Amino acid sequence: MTRTRWFGMLVIVLACAMCFSTGCRKKKSARGSEGMIGGNLGQGDTEQTAFGSRPEGALNILIDIQVDAVLFDYDSTQIGEMERSKLDQVADYLKNQNTKAGVIIEGNCDERGSAEYNMALGERRALAARAYLVSLGVDGDAMQTKSLGKENPVNPGHDEDAWRVNRRDEFVFFEK
Amino acid sequence: MKRWCWALILTALIAPASVRAQVVVTKSMNEVSLLDMSAFKSRSDGAPELFRRTLEADLNRSEYFKIVAGGRAEFALAGEADLDGSSLSARCEAYNTITRERHLSKTFKGSGAKARPLAHKAADEIVLALTGRPGMASSRFVLVGNRTGNKELYLCDADGQNLRQLTRDKTLSLFPKWGPGGNQIVYTSFRSHFSDVYLITFRGNSWKGRSIAGFPGLNTCAAISPDGREVALTLSKDGNPDLFIMKISGKRLTRLTSTPRAGEASPSWSPDGRRIVFVSDRSGSPQLYIVSRSGGEPKRITSASSQNVDPDWGANGFIAYSSLIGRQFQVFILNPETLETRQLTQEDASYEDPCWAPDKRHLACTRTERYHSRIFIVDMITHSGINLLPDSATGDWSSPSWSQK
Repeated sequence: MTRTRWFGMLVIVLACAMCFSTGCRKKKSARGSEGMIGGNLGQGDTEQTAFGSRPEGALNILIDIQVDAVLFDYDSTQIGEMERSKLDQVADYLKNQNTKAGVIIEGNCDERGSAEYNMALGERRALAARAYLVSLGVDGDAMQTKSLGKENPVNPGHDEDAWRVNRRDEFVFFEK
Repeated sequence: MKRWCWALILTALIAPASVRAQVVVTKSMNEVSLLDMSAFKSRSDGAPELFRRTLEADLNRSEYFKIVAGGRAEFALAGEADLDGSSLSARCEAYNTITRERHLSKTFKGSGAKARPLAHKAADEIVLALTGRPGMASSRFVLVGNRTGNKELYLCDADGQNLRQLTRDKTLSLFPKWGPGGNQIVYTSFRSHFSDVYLITFRGNSWKGRSIAGFPGLNTCAAISPDGREVALTLSKDGNPDLFIMKISGKRLTRLTSTPRAGEASPSWSPDGRRIVFVSDRSGSPQLYIVSRSGGEPKRITSASSQNVDPDWGANGFIAYSSLIGRQFQVFILNPETLETRQLTQEDASYEDPCWAPDKRHLACTRTERYHSRIFIVDMITHSGINLLPDSATGDWSSPSWSQK
């Protein structure tokens, strides 16, 4: 009697385990060969693909391509519709014009607020551009993100005009 | 009334139990005692006089004493500083003029070239002997300065003297934080072109630095745990800036937060190392949260302002932070158990990035006025403040960290 009950429980546990593992496998294959490092612990609404390893040594910066900085609203990491054509340009270059190129996406903030917090905010701006480029089919391995927080303003002023252009992503292309 | 309550709570917290047992503290810490130093003589100019002047300045700076010459003072310091060849010797007798009880009788000896550090040591011992509370004269600062055109780390003493450049990375060096022993600093540098976390270790007069976190993406906001074994930091290697803890060697990474639509920054450890206060914008604006060192759901502890940032959890249990009031930041302290807060700075400038002194009563912060920033020391008891560095220290100064030893 007790033995059959134990056996029943074992069957249930095994079945659950199998469901779970196949579920996991399915998820993995859906993400393709790019895979995920770490992941976002069950909150998979922002799909992030793996970072490639960082370029080593001196960078060979490409100067035949220049894309205007993508600008952001105050304290925002949303890429506005008007800014997307700039990212389309980045995607076109990396996918069609120079497949040997990589890009460093540099996120920046205006001078207001905590320097440490702005490092996280700048990184999220760079990651937002990266996610958009991934959605356009750019290989995650070709992209690096970098935050300069509020340390690298393009306009040294202290008014709204300066802040507007300082909240930005810049694109530095390099030879992989 | 409210202020009086604070003073009482702070007084109880600042006196460490072990010290309280040895010395009877009869005064509350918001009283300043007169200390007569007229019976302490320097036998010659040079090192002995430098010792006496430094000691006097340190005792005034502690804000437990006001140094006077003669008159009716509660405490007196007698003795002399003398130079024999190149060795300095300073006999210090500190006593209560009313009870005639001698609280300290000690001769400090060292090289004449070390008159200032010797005076700092004497000042801390006199403060401890007369008040039962720790001093701060022997501690050091690490700061960020931009006088070379790059942001580099600088060191100086607790009185702002002896300022010297530490790093020569020729890039951005940011957010330095001392480890608990006063012989290690973690900071963020762009030496590799990307933001990485570096660990500097001092051995005597030399130091070595090495990268301990260089993952893809952001590596920043590092803080060493009170036991010196671990580092809390912000990494974005998994696609979003989140908090992690790792061994100080750079191994054994564990994740503390997971917020795909928000960023985390500025971790600071509780004195017992069990909790971490940090900044997150998961609510839409940067606010302070506390999370257990072993993970779990963080608890939000601020709400009053649109931005509450840069927390530093002091050894007295209070969290210092900066809060946006109008267009400027002001330094506040917060009791994490009751969530009571108190503003420390005047609204005449912007005050950011506070850090606690080892005396558990002073704080240093960055004071910015007309886009020029300097390091400012503020006393949480009297709310009075002074600049750390002399006017001759040109350039902008920010991101102070005060060594706890």
